[in-house]
Amino acid sequence: MADEDETKEYRWESGYEKTWEAIKEDDDGLLESNVADLVARAKRKRAALKDTGAIQLGMMRHLFVVVDASACMFLQDLKPTRFLCVLKLLEVFVHEFFDLNPISQLGILTTKMKRSEQITVLAGNQKKHIEALQQLKDLSCEGEPSLQNSLERAMNGLKNMPAYSSREILVLFGSLTTCDPGDIQKTIKSLKDNNIRVSIIGLAAEVRICQEIAKKTGGTYNVLIDDHHLKELILNQVQPPAVAGSMEASLVKMGFPGGSPIVNDGTSDSSADHAPAYCLCHIESETSSLMGPNGYNCPQCGSRYCELPVECKQCGLTLVSAPHLARSYHHLFPIKPFIERAQVRETTHCFACAKLFVEAETNVYECENCNQIVCLDCDLFIRETLHTCPGCASDPVTAQMKTN
Amino acid sequence: MMNRIFDSLIAFGNAHLMQASHNKLAIIACNSKSTKFLYPSMDGTSRSYHNRPGQYDMFAKVDSDVRHGLGELILNDMTDNDSTKSDSLLGGAMARALSYIHRVQRELSLSHQLKPRVLVVSGSCDSALQYMTFMNVFFTAQKENVVIDCCMMDTDSGLLQQGCDITGGQYLHIPSVAGLLEYLLWVFLPSPSCRSKIVLPPPTKVDYRAACFCHHKLVDIGWVCSVCLSIFCKFSIMCTTCNTEFKLNRPAIVPAKSKKRARIE
Repeated sequence: MADEDETKEYRWESGYEKTWEAIKEDDDGLLESNVADLVARAKRKRAALKDTGAIQLGMMRHLFVVVDASACMFLQDLKPTRFLCVLKLLEVFVHEFFDLNPISQLGILTTKMKRSEQITVLAGNQKKHIEALQQLKDLSCEGEPSLQNSLERAMNGLKNMPAYSSREILVLFGSLTTCDPGDIQKTIKSLKDNNIRVSIIGLAAEVRICQEIAKKTGGTYNVLIDDHHLKELILNQVQPPAVAGSMEASLVKMGFPGGSPIVNDGTSDSSADHAPAYCLCHIESETSSLMGPNGYNCPQCGSRYCELPVECKQCGLTLVSAPHLARSYHHLFPIKPFIERAQVRETTHCFACAKLFVEAETNVYECENCNQIVCLDCDLFIRETLHTCPGCASDPVTAQMKTN
Repeated sequence: MMNRIFDSLIAFGNAHLMQASHNKLAIIACNSKSTKFLYPSMDGTSRSYHNRPGQYDMFAKVDSDVRHGLGELILNDMTDNDSTKSDSLLGGAMARALSYIHRVQRELSLSHQLKPRVLVVSGSCDSALQYMTFMNVFFTAQKENVVIDCCMMDTDSGLLQQGCDITGGQYLHIPSVAGLLEYLLWVFLPSPSCRSKIVLPPPTKVDYRAACFCHHKLVDIGWVCSVCLSIFCKFSIMCTTCNTEFKLNRPAIVPAKSKKRARIE
């Protein structure tokens, strides 16, 4: 298993790790409190690692996922086969990706028989990708993969994307070989010139060229240990990456449909907005859906769409709704880690969940801004899911938004 | 008037507890100074409950705790002369509610699943400064499958409307406060799973337009900073939130192609 630091120390090169020494019995000869302590520390460490601070993050992402569909993906070291396991996890990934990055776009490529094929184009629609992944289950894996072909193909798709977006490729590579038509160093160079970041997840063993590609383009290369680790590695890619600093910022024009709401007393609003119309998202399919007053109209050209976010086919305006943008705001205002303290006599209950502090809980956590005490589970909940400190939100001084 | 509202709320809470033995209740109150768990009370002092003969003990407990807690909350507000002005701290109260739900779910997760929901009864209008807190709460509720319902007296609240829409809850603006208990029992007592079988007030169409950061007015088409995602109504050179300068998107000036003369050798 490769380490991620520069010195490249492999596990077999460093000394013996005596893991049994970490477990000690307490006075009564019981291990329980010690185990609970270790579990709590592990939980906190994982949550704390994710706290990156206020670095510039790439919010609008264009990501290509390249799935290796070569003969080695039929091996059964991941149940039921590597290919099916990867597809299942990719469905979860797609769901989480669009959950956390609502204005981003995703595309899927496969590589087999020394060529690469495009399964879905870069699009922001979650359902299409999930359907395509489900249809991929019947694909037969054969031949050899081609790293260069798939990277070139992804690059062609990403080259024309605007400069302010973060361009990424994620490769799920299960083979130890690759069959390329030309010099892959040239491909790496053009990837770097186009600011495309390539991250690779290896399913077999560490391959040197993958390490080089990831390092030169600024991505990550990891090899999995087992299927839980694979899930963790894939889900790590869901978080927006920190930007290297070479990304250009610009103002993007976006439309916010869903404007004037229907007034409650029954009189209808401007007729164009709520009249039934054919939606442009289904117009090419045979069963084009006739929408009632429930669609969204593009404010620039008036075309109707069923769902947001979408890019208007008529005028090219990106249509989003305010909650989609708000979903990414919590990255920009991260919460500072809570301070760990020994139990304080005065506070008997956790501020967030009203749980009584029992003697067994040795550590409680305090927020720097509002000085409220919470328990360990609330600390993890706040950090991973809620992204707001209830104490700060319940204090009139700190509840006001900092940006204004 | 306030007494009647509190009576209605306590009656509603007791009605919920009466529906099934495993139903749980928590009541949180907030004003512009603080938020407080009314029931279960965090006081630790056990008060004697005057329950009428034949009354279920828990109803008396709820009644007594809520009245006592509300009394303390209002007294604190009046005696505190701090001049910080703020809107009602609804966001904080909802965040605490979600943490409580998370804790109860964790403690019960081995035995059976909860179907949690949050009912917000409010008369305050929107607080633009607490936008972030509200949005975080709504997305967390959506993720944890918590349904947020809202009962508004007096004014309408666009933010809470969005929240009810995001989580799949019911938003209701009450025309008359005297009928509060009736509205609560009719609309909000049934659980979300059986709401499809009941005739409820029609859903309001939510205004999902965003407010621009410079004037706080709703925009149809806006300019969004690609770094911090703040919304502006007009194109400008610099983003006021993250102070990044923008590259002007001029179309690339292509030099006129000099016509290549074919060399005839």
